[in-house]
Amino acid sequence: MPPIEHLYIHIPFCPKLCPYCCFYVEEGAKNKNRAFLDALLLELEKQNQIREVIPRTIYMGGGTPTSLLADQLAYLMEGLKTRLPLHQLEEWTVEANPATVRPEKARLLKEAGVNRISLGVQSWNDTTLKTLGRVHSSLQARKTVETLLGAGFASLNIDLMFSVPGQTLEEWEADLQTTLEIAPSHISAYCLTYEEDTDFFLKLSKGHFKQDEARDARLFELTMEQLEAGGYAQYEISNHARPGHESRHNIACWEGREYLGLGPSAFSTLNGERTQNVCDTAEYVRRLNAGMPPVHSRESLDASTLLKEKVAFGLRMATGVEEEHLDNWHAEKIHLLEIGLLERHDSRLRLTRRGKMLADAVGESFMG
Amino acid sequence: MSNDRIRNFCIIAHIDHGKTTLSDRLLEFTGTVEKRESQEQLLDAMDLERERGITIKSHPVAMTYKAQDGLEYQLNLMDTPGHVDFAYEVSRSLAACEGAILVVDAAQGVEAQTVANVHLAMKQELTLVPVINKIDLPNSDLPSVRRQLEEILAIPAEEAVLASAKAGIGITDILEAVVKRIPPPKGKAEDRMRALVFDSSFDTYRGVVVYVRVVDGSIKAGDVVKMMNTNRPYEVKEVGIFRPTNPKFVAQRELPAGSVGYVIANMKTSAEVKVGDTLTSSRLPATEPLPGFQEVQPMVFSGIYPINTADFEALKVAMGKLQLNDAAFVFQAESSVALGFGFRCGFLGLLHMEIIQERLRREFDMDIIATYPSVIYQVYKTNGEMVLVDNPEHLPDMSIVEEIREPMVRCFLMLPNEAISPIMQLILEKRGVLKHTESLDTRRVMLTIEIPLNEILVDFVDKIKSITRGYGSMDYEHAEHQASKLVKLDILVNGEPVDAFSSIVHRDKAESRGRALAAKLKEVIPTQLFTVPIQAAIGGKIVARETVSAQRKNVTAKCYGGDISRKRKLLEKQKEGKKRMKAIGRVNIPQEAFIEVLKTN
Repeated sequence: MPPIEHLYIHIPFCPKLCPYCCFYVEEGAKNKNRAFLDALLLELEKQNQIREVIPRTIYMGGGTPTSLLADQLAYLMEGLKTRLPLHQLEEWTVEANPATVRPEKARLLKEAGVNRISLGVQSWNDTTLKTLGRVHSSLQARKTVETLLGAGFASLNIDLMFSVPGQTLEEWEADLQTTLEIAPSHISAYCLTYEEDTDFFLKLSKGHFKQDEARDARLFELTMEQLEAGGYAQYEISNHARPGHESRHNIACWEGREYLGLGPSAFSTLNGERTQNVCDTAEYVRRLNAGMPPVHSRESLDASTLLKEKVAFGLRMATGVEEEHLDNWHAEKIHLLEIGLLERHDSRLRLTRRGKMLADAVGESFMG
Repeated sequence: MSNDRIRNFCIIAHIDHGKTTLSDRLLEFTGTVEKRESQEQLLDAMDLERERGITIKSHPVAMTYKAQDGLEYQLNLMDTPGHVDFAYEVSRSLAACEGAILVVDAAQGVEAQTVANVHLAMKQELTLVPVINKIDLPNSDLPSVRRQLEEILAIPAEEAVLASAKAGIGITDILEAVVKRIPPPKGKAEDRMRALVFDSSFDTYRGVVVYVRVVDGSIKAGDVVKMMNTNRPYEVKEVGIFRPTNPKFVAQRELPAGSVGYVIANMKTSAEVKVGDTLTSSRLPATEPLPGFQEVQPMVFSGIYPINTADFEALKVAMGKLQLNDAAFVFQAESSVALGFGFRCGFLGLLHMEIIQERLRREFDMDIIATYPSVIYQVYKTNGEMVLVDNPEHLPDMSIVEEIREPMVRCFLMLPNEAISPIMQLILEKRGVLKHTESLDTRRVMLTIEIPLNEILVDFVDKIKSITRGYGSMDYEHAEHQASKLVKLDILVNGEPVDAFSSIVHRDKAESRGRALAAKLKEVIPTQLFTVPIQAAIGGKIVARETVSAQRKNVTAKCYGGDISRKRKLLEKQKEGKKRMKAIGRVNIPQEAFIEVLKTN
């Protein structure tokens, strides 16, 4: 079997839970300890015995990986490096929160071999940040960007959010402009999604927040226009990069490649199966120490499911998908071409500008 | 008992004037039922009938009455359906009688239905026994009711018997009037047997029970009889008379000329029995059938569809069961692009339609949706041929249509004076023509109008009730067809006609109806991936247009490795939802949207 080339590591800790986030995360430091880090490393070792991991990309997300204390972070990086051959490594991303990155940690990550930082700025507007329940201020975020650039991270992503309750079109435009002035190599711009089991969803259901398709559409269009004018290519629905700075790890996921996920709640897609680890850090640690697999659910992916995913999610990328992948959906394809949501480019099919606005509806066409 | 001791009669009245109470009182008074077995409304067997205070199926009853002349009489009471939808059944029931008790409420006076029923009874040359009922009410107005009898119905006021069925006043007078005024049946016992079929019912154990009035000769078990219309022979298993309570059928040795009773032969379905047909002996058949047989023609049509397509078979079974007892209800399978598989149904009238729909829902627990009701049009083609069209889909191309004639009704409206002007406006709106105005008393007026049946199908009665705050009443009788400027109105969604919304309408109304339908559809059709025009069209001409603008944004922002399964399942679920929708071309419309629109009609 070929080696596993893409590795995700979930660090489920945050200083404070964000009211819109639906990922498995713990507030507080109860389980943020050496035992957890050892469990992560143990899971990696066990996987390595089954199928060798020679990563081309590593993505550490969460939660907030940088919420680990400096010595914990150092221990984890060292542990990973002794267990992983890194000669194939092209990209190593760590997600960071502006409130948790000091120069010491930045240096530490850089020295460990991390070459890309994804910074959860979300907005440069303090009112919007407050609505989002973020622990940092815009000033802190600016300082953190300087810190990271100073530490020598040439590849930097800034996360932004639009359609936040109370946010005006002008405020969003200002957020985009500020980001363009800072000129990171990569910008992720997300329309706020109301995920079930979040505070925001509850407020939406109660009518405190309102969704507005027309407003979302306008802001999304504005985002695409401004970032394109600023020299960023929209290589995926919400992701914009200067040439050569696209996230290789994420591209691998969208292309339907195999990846290994470590840590509580992490998903893996390997050997025609998608598994998810338990969403409970203490239980995760207990199972690994007891010699049990930390997996809590499995879904086997047959060829047709994999193809559906490859098409629906592949189309989210600017490169689109090979036209032959749509052979099963001839009528749908013709219709989507006719109404101008899809277009041909070489032997590939991709979303048009309007198609990007309706990517879920397009993806849905290929689910039957 | 000889013929001169038999009286065959029925009771006719406007709704709520006390027909059922009077029937019950007659049954008690003659000892046909004990007072304690008498529940309210003995003769109305169906729940729905009790609820609406109407009788749908006739239930004849034989009573024995010892009159003041010391003789015993057999009184056969034919309870008639009280609604014009069942006019044909009413007139068959009337044909089995020599007389009728006409009940008029002492406070309400003559109402629309009174007029319609009296017209029917007079056509049959029945002797009328007018009864002014509820005379004990504090607001009774005898002089005014007497005047109405004379002026509107041409019945001498001094003939009216004063009564209160509820309080038991005047019951003897009524029974005596029945005996003295209504003539005995005239049939000849020695002639070849002829019996008029005036109704039938279905009994799970015995099959079809045929209700007959024996006109000539007699009939008994063992006779071989046949229907003159179908010529099918049957062996008679049992004959007998009716009782209001169980057992409802009491077997007799024979039914003599002049009597009313039932015949059980080996008939499997009520479809074999045509009301109005003549039953005669198979061995010695009569040469001439009794007059007046005609096939019952449905007047109102509507598609009935199961909301859940899987219920199609169950609906078919339910309709079959209803039909066993109601041969006037007809249905045949049809399919609609929008609604799937269902049935085209024919009804005698509006009430009949409502009752069938209600019984399907209530007695058979069916979840159904009905399409816009339609009448039956006579379409004359340019080649001289005439076709009957009850479904807009079957209308021939207008280029070969010379003329379309629509069924008209003569409609009687009783109104408080102050309602005349708004009602006249309503009548004009509905293309009605005023034929006659007559004042009933100082407060009320009767209008006779001619109006297309199509126009009173949906909300006419409701509107009259609301304009007159419940004081107005309406009834109608069928009139001849009349040529009219009728067109087929199509509704097109994204250029495709939607069959469920097509209708035949008057040219002058097509545009406003088209606009209303298009506007409603715009409201209920969810946004699609492209702009969807909704058009109303007459022939090829667009008369109204609305647009459902395209969906603008439908994309989840975040989609990463961990989310892929969840996202895919979300999309799969959306796709499943679409599958439950009806596709009109490329436009997906949830079935609820169709139901919404059909309801607003």
